Amino acid sequence: MEKALKKYSPLFVIPTFAAFVIGFIIPFAEGLYLSFCQFTTVKNAKWVGIANYQRAFADESFTNALGFTVSYAVVSIVVINVIALGLALLLTRKLKGTNIFRTIFFMPNLIGGIVLGYIWQILINCVLSIVGEPLLALNETAGYWGLIILTAWQQIGYMMIIYIAGLQNVPGELLEAAEIDGANAITTLLKVKIPMIMSSITICVFLTLTNSFKLFDQNLALTAGDPKHMTEMLALNIYNTFYARAGAQWKGLGQAKAVIFCILVIAISMIQLKATRSKEVQQ
Amino acid sequence: MKKENKALDMMWTVILTIASVLYMYPIVMIFFNSLKEETSISTNSAVQLPTAETFAGLENYLNAINSKGFLQSLGYSIVITVTSVIAILLLCSMCSWYITRVKGIVSSGLYFLFAFSMVVPFQMVMFTLSQTADQLKLNTPWNIWIIYLGFGAGLAVFMFAGFMKSIPLEVEEASMIDGCNPLQTYFLIVMPMLKPTMVSVGILEAMWVWNDYLLPTLVLDIKKYKTIPMLIQYFRGSYGRVEMGPMMACIMLTVIPIVITYLLGQKHIIKGVAAGAVKG
Amino acid sequence: MKKRLMALALTAAVGATALTGCGSNQTAATTAAPATEAAKTETTVAPATEAAPAADGSVYYLNFKPEQDQQWQDLAKAYTEETGVPVTVVTAASGEYETTLMSEMGKSSAPTLFQVNGPVGLANWTDYCYDLAGTDIYNELTSEGFALKDGDAVKGIAYVVESYGIITNKSLLEKAGYTVEEIDSFEDLKKVAEDITARKDELGFAAFSSAGMDGSSDWRFKTHLANLPIYFEYQADGIGATDAIKGTYLDNYKNIWDLYINNSTCEPADLAAKTGDDSRNEFLAGEAVFFQNGSWEYGNLTGEGKFTDDDLAMIPIYVGVGDEANQGLCTGTENYWCVNAEAEEADIQATLDFMAWCVTSEEGTNAMANEMGFVIPFKNAVESPNLFVKQDVAYTNAGKLPVSWNFPTMPSEEWKNGVGQALTAYAADQTDANWAEVVTAFVEGWATEYALANPQ
Repeated sequence: MEKALKKYSPLFVIPTFAAFVIGFIIPFAEGLYLSFCQFTTVKNAKWVGIANYQRAFADESFTNALGFTVSYAVVSIVVINVIALGLALLLTRKLKGTNIFRTIFFMPNLIGGIVLGYIWQILINCVLSIVGEPLLALNETAGYWGLIILTAWQQIGYMMIIYIAGLQNVPGELLEAAEIDGANAITTLLKVKIPMIMSSITICVFLTLTNSFKLFDQNLALTAGDPKHMTEMLALNIYNTFYARAGAQWKGLGQAKAVIFCILVIAISMIQLKATRSKEVQQ
Repeated sequence: MKKENKALDMMWTVILTIASVLYMYPIVMIFFNSLKEETSISTNSAVQLPTAETFAGLENYLNAINSKGFLQSLGYSIVITVTSVIAILLLCSMCSWYITRVKGIVSSGLYFLFAFSMVVPFQMVMFTLSQTADQLKLNTPWNIWIIYLGFGAGLAVFMFAGFMKSIPLEVEEASMIDGCNPLQTYFLIVMPMLKPTMVSVGILEAMWVWNDYLLPTLVLDIKKYKTIPMLIQYFRGSYGRVEMGPMMACIMLTVIPIVITYLLGQKHIIKGVAAGAVKG
Repeated sequence: MKKRLMALALTAAVGATALTGCGSNQTAATTAAPATEAAKTETTVAPATEAAPAADGSVYYLNFKPEQDQQWQDLAKAYTEETGVPVTVVTAASGEYETTLMSEMGKSSAPTLFQVNGPVGLANWTDYCYDLAGTDIYNELTSEGFALKDGDAVKGIAYVVESYGIITNKSLLEKAGYTVEEIDSFEDLKKVAEDITARKDELGFAAFSSAGMDGSSDWRFKTHLANLPIYFEYQADGIGATDAIKGTYLDNYKNIWDLYINNSTCEPADLAAKTGDDSRNEFLAGEAVFFQNGSWEYGNLTGEGKFTDDDLAMIPIYVGVGDEANQGLCTGTENYWCVNAEAEEADIQATLDFMAWCVTSEEGTNAMANEMGFVIPFKNAVESPNLFVKQDVAYTNAGKLPVSWNFPTMPSEEWKNGVGQALTAYAADQTDANWAEVVTAFVEGWATEYALANPQ
């Protein structure tokens, strides 16, 4: 069969691969190369060595964005996963109206980041002005928590669905056995349910982690980095370096930042996957 | 024991009901504001319901639809999403089948590359991708699916391949022995088996493409085309004229079809997401 | 079978939307294609004199002024109807001109006509600017001073001269017991504004419309109002630009800002989210007497159900420096047209022809004066019916000295944003520490941004 299939390789592989070359491989390779150059278009690139990287690390706005992204990511991962798991536990208790709740909690997930950002900007600004606090454009703390609330609102439903699927796969006998042994609800949760849904946890943590690091649309629409770039996350910082600054000196810097960002995201995902996978129960 | 449980369940149901209402509130709030007159939409009154005085009826909606190119943008968004998702589902599943069935350095190399591309953030290729797309003239709603296919292939191939590894070879081999060529085998045997994965990949990719803002902004020929997210961002921006009324109407007009689609296809969507995640 | 029907229906639906989607753009798309091809065969086109302009290029104008978006679209259409040359006008959203220009210039169908705000903006784009020396549009200028030069090369041409100040609702002012003639210094303005605030409940209106610091309106203060301390400092030091501002007149900047925010229609803390629309709407609704803005607002303020010329006046922004009795409006330009030197030759020619047509033809000059309300520095200009423009002329004739526009010398957008942020923060919480932040953003931010924008 392999042989027959091989003959058909142009048909099966080439279309996707060609698009992949255009949409990923060429831009990625060029991007890597350009991070060592000064340029305004791909054609006029001039090799400058590691100068862009030195400038990137010296750029305070970039290191600030990194710090902000990390602290945002940590809190949002915890918030989203804890609430999502809690909801999943409740919704597997066969309560009345489970389906309706599930429908409602999942819904915001389908709405795009830009739209979500504006919806919450209007709501948060209104609340802030009623309680007499500075509005989002000036309020770093509100911006930070606003982003967390917004992304939690958006992603909890999604993660909840994954947890529900995981919980439904926990064998009933195990739970019965635990009950007969006299385990209370908390012990059952910690000793039986959580170990059994470790693969769901891996996936959810992985997804929330990469989502947090790559967050862009919501950031742009909700705070746009205000005040003074203090709520600017890495992706937005890179975008602003590229497009909000005029002049040849900025593009190379932006590309170097993007490469650093890329390496960071890859490294984190690898470490995280390894760490959680090792805790999974083989099923 | 039983009674206690019932009381507890009751309490949770009440709490969840309140939580659901709060959860829906932001969307409901936008809806009410979209019915207000433009001049009475202001920061500190967003939570107030429209009154007889501020009620504008459907004026904002008509304004958004008539003068702001909403229908055009809706058309472009639909074209882009449908073409991209079809291309991704068809071509990536074919490619994944090849990769999982033909062993060798090429296949594993490709698989690695696809998986790798999944993690790479868009900002890494943002500039160079828009330049490449421009040179190849992939800047219209009719052919931007090639870019989406390329950049979205990672996730799709990863998920399809993950599923295919778990399905037995025998059926396919039997069909080949019966004289089907690989193409026939694929469409008659493999594709039907892939249906659940198709649904989950399709949903994930559709959500991504439909809501994507940055890629079309940088790649599309903005002289002619705006997608819905671009249009909403544009409402915010135009100089001295933040048109809150039409913007909120526009938000509602984008949210409503999503909600309807979701309510209709809820079962598939939720199942798809769960299945996709567990497999991935 | 059922599935196939579904698929068919879906394809049909897609096809239908596709058709409606492209219908309106078809003309542009079809005419643009042959244009590039033809460009290669016919490289030199005789500079259009009175003859019909070259019909084989096309124009892509990235417009900076959203207030005039519709008028430009109409004018472009009229030009295409008359000459057959396709003109596309795209207007960048507020605060996004640089990002849009940046990403559009990277494309193969880049804008052929774009604009910079002056020497600082030009520094970033000078390589892309076609030398306009000797072109028709350059020869039409009424004064050399409106050309933006880099060495001997003419890189940009100012196409509009504008004025800004404090737009005043005369009827409301009279209701409060004052006239515009009584206000000719900062002290007068302060007295009037504070008196109106004191009697706000009785009068039913406020002194100033909200000084919104939303991105759609903050340029009125971080850029236009900030021009005054810079202008007076340049005057005092006898310079026209600097790499390090001293901030001599920042106290005056504070005074006028205090006046704006504390005598306004809303609480100072709410300004952060107030938009340009909010401010204009308040002024139109008669909720405020004063509205800081420029001659470009004329069209938005007059017309059906709005004000007439008799209701309005524009007075200078007094900040308490210099010879206030002889201070005029802030008049100048930050709008310079540049032609993309990297465009196809035919497109460059088409663009030059379009520019010349705009400022010489009856239709073009009419549209610019009457529709857009511009005063254009070209020989064939039609007199603008814009009240504020007429006032500027009247002030100048009365011997008042216009305040020049120095904000094109501000080091970067980033600097303006820094000042804007600090101003907003100060408005929300008016402490000395917060004002010190404004001073820091103004003075130190200038030096930092200047160094970043001009690497050694």
